[in-house]
Amino acid sequence: MAFTFSRMRAAFAALALGLSVAGCGYNTIPTAEENAKAKWADVQNQYQRRADLIPNLVATVQGYAKQEKDVLTSVIEARSKATSVKIDASQLTDPEKVKQFQDAQNQLSGALGRLIAVSEAYPDLKSNQNFLALQSQLEGTENRIAVARRDYVGAVRDYNLTLSTFPSLIWAKTIFSGNKPMATFTASEGADKPPQVKF
Amino acid sequence: MVGLAILRDAPSALLRMRIRFFGRALKARGPFAVVLAAALALFATLAFAFDFPALTGRVVDQANIIPAATRSQIEAKLASLEDKSGIQLVVATVSSLQDSDIETFSVDLARAWKLGEAKKNNGLLLLVAPNERKVRIEVGYGLEGTMTDALTKVIIQSAIVPKFRSGDYAGGVDAGVDAIIDALTVDSAEWQKKVEGARRAAARSHRPDSALRHFPAVRLHRHLDDPQCARADGPMGAARQPDDLHPLSPSSWSGGGAAGAAARAAAIPAFQAAAAISAAAAPRGDW
Repeated sequence: MAFTFSRMRAAFAALALGLSVAGCGYNTIPTAEENAKAKWADVQNQYQRRADLIPNLVATVQGYAKQEKDVLTSVIEARSKATSVKIDASQLTDPEKVKQFQDAQNQLSGALGRLIAVSEAYPDLKSNQNFLALQSQLEGTENRIAVARRDYVGAVRDYNLTLSTFPSLIWAKTIFSGNKPMATFTASEGADKPPQVKF
Repeated sequence: MVGLAILRDAPSALLRMRIRFFGRALKARGPFAVVLAAALALFATLAFAFDFPALTGRVVDQANIIPAATRSQIEAKLASLEDKSGIQLVVATVSSLQDSDIETFSVDLARAWKLGEAKKNNGLLLLVAPNERKVRIEVGYGLEGTMTDALTKVIIQSAIVPKFRSGDYAGGVDAGVDAIIDALTVDSAEWQKKVEGARRAAARSHRPDSALRHFPAVRLHRHLDDPQCARADGPMGAARQPDDLHPLSPSSWSGGGAAGAAARAAAIPAFQAAAAISAAAAPRGDW
């Protein structure tokens, strides 16, 4: 009887220890890390979705505006460059890599913006059903990218906070000492200013 | 712009304040205060930056643009949609977008309200901001395949905006709800054809509102006479409480769907140029 009682006590002690370790934020670091990685996957998926729309868009515009060769080629080039820069989840702690990814995607955004802007000059193109559908898909995808980026930034902030705040800080300094803060997006130049339009 | 900056800075300022408090409390009260402050800081990051109206039913008319009669009609349609398909569509009108763009506002609102079933992510939000002249259909991740970006744009442009332009907000919302329900319940390819046919007819006759005549608005009114629907309109239907609305995990709103005519004018610098150009040609709002 005494034996089982002590065994029960040991079991309770193990349970209590487990709960208190979990309560002390042992789990928060891996949880936040996986969450941030998942959010990064969303970011990449949405950028990929945009890249997938581009060949179709370029083909449609080409049918109406062949003379805009420069803009069309710059979109194609920016797309192939952007799709070649991929980051797997383990490279998120490298700010250089994240910046490379962001720069490549920004370049594509710029080229796409110019493509949409020049297409304004072609009334037939603007009323083409296929073009309208692609344009709204592109708009929707840009929205999704913005949301995915915002979610990723939030998840990274939460994760980085677990590495630098008590009580998870204890685990960050010991068991998870290999974990480094993740890099996030930097505001691109001029993003906070309204655009200048020159005619 | 100043208001926007304050709004954006508010959460981080709150965070800084709490962390400072955390520093002072550390000396004063020991680890307990630290844990408390960390919990508070975490809570601050989870909170939404906007002041949202409460989810009081299927139609939340904060801007007060839908008369009671139309409102109960719309609510009955929304209830019948959920009974049949499980899809939860909520209509919201807001008096202000609180200095934000409608894309950010609507995705945050849909997340805050947790529309749709958590496993299926089948929520939809039709958001109207009459003061900013903006309208948007926010689509839950599970419905993005059916309610595509192109489709939301077609619905906004052909069903909603023409009525809004003539000042008929209630009619525009009603027509929009009809169109959304139709697109969800009828085979979408068939529906798309119908819309394109209507558009071509409109282009031929050069009357922008003739597209509406082809809109299958009659289909849904039939459900109002349906005994099924009368039951839904009873204790459960008309004034559904928030706890009846199934919770949805916040991440399943990915922010897709096109908003009205103007391109997204925030966050993406390259798109700002294109948006500004189209904004120069057209009025700022969607109608």
